[in-house]
Amino acid sequence: MNDMTPAARERLDNYLQRMRSELRGTRAEVADEVEQSVREHIEIALAEAQAPIGTTEVIAILDRLGPPERWLADEERPMWRRALDRVRSGSEDGRLAYLSFGLFVASIVLLPMFGFLLLIPAMFVGRAWIELARDRGEPLGARRWLVYPALAVVLAFATGLLILAPPLGALAFALGGDVEPLLDIPTTRAGEFRFLAGLNGVLFGSWWMIAAAFCAAFLRPIRFVFSPMLDGLQRKHFAVLAAIGALVAAAGATLIYYRH
Amino acid sequence: MQGLILSLVADLSFDNWMTQLRKGLLELAVLNSIAAAPLYGYDIVRRLSDVDHLVITEGTVYPILSRLKNSGLVETYIEESQEGPPRKYYRLTARGRDDLYRMNQHWDSLHHAIGGLRKERHR
Repeated sequence: MNDMTPAARERLDNYLQRMRSELRGTRAEVADEVEQSVREHIEIALAEAQAPIGTTEVIAILDRLGPPERWLADEERPMWRRALDRVRSGSEDGRLAYLSFGLFVASIVLLPMFGFLLLIPAMFVGRAWIELARDRGEPLGARRWLVYPALAVVLAFATGLLILAPPLGALAFALGGDVEPLLDIPTTRAGEFRFLAGLNGVLFGSWWMIAAAFCAAFLRPIRFVFSPMLDGLQRKHFAVLAAIGALVAAAGATLIYYRH
Repeated sequence: MQGLILSLVADLSFDNWMTQLRKGLLELAVLNSIAAAPLYGYDIVRRLSDVDHLVITEGTVYPILSRLKNSGLVETYIEESQEGPPRKYYRLTARGRDDLYRMNQHWDSLHHAIGGLRKERHR
């Protein structure tokens, strides 16, 4: 390009660098074409200036071209750049969805260092965003996928904990230490298997009935905390869980009764 | 103080309206600028800059030219220049000419309709 002073050259290089950075992520032919056209524009604009070209002339041309950040229409800009801009300059509540996703990613990255603790704030920040959007009557749109991962993981974790943890704890207690000798466990292999299967059935089945009753009593808070994922949750779903629990517990009790 | 704030808000919403209008019209203006004869990018920018309030940042025109080219409305060719570097000329394709004809018709009818509304207000 034209003969110019080092300061003017530096100014121009910085501008072109900024432009390349802004065009990064758009379709390759668009980025190349725009960059080539802008270079041609600058060359033609500088062609009549006296060499060596100084910063004043360069700045005047670049000012007329304007900041590259304002050239592209929003829909032409790559999704990651739009997301970055929304985080930087979006409304406070709009940023919550991105913050939720950021916390979720951080919780995955920091998993070996108790990163899972970040899942809870990620979920609540995401829920806050959902409530704000609902208050304003705005659709959640594609941004819902930023908050769903944290909600889904916490929901899966809480469900697993609710369904499995108490009976497993009770089982470990029953088979450990002082309680086991009191249980009259058969000595034959088949009898021992029937007893253990039966014990599992009774513990899990009973607990599922208790958990179903507990969740049915607190249906609204549960639905609220995990909204919109559990918006369709109804008492009849817990009735089904209780019925399954009753069947499993009954089968378990039968196996224990006929263990010998 | 309240008056100042209200006038600032009014200015902001007018600026926003102008920006949206400009965005919508720039493509039409670019296509019209090369309707009569092919022009190179710098020349297109210069012509559009002469229209008041249409081009605030000249660089905006280049992504539009690129988009019009990718959608098949304009095509380019390079021509040597005695006054400087080789220049990339833009010209309308047959499809671009058809689309421009329809766009201009639509613009004329809009302009006519808005004019009618304004006349009604003054009656």
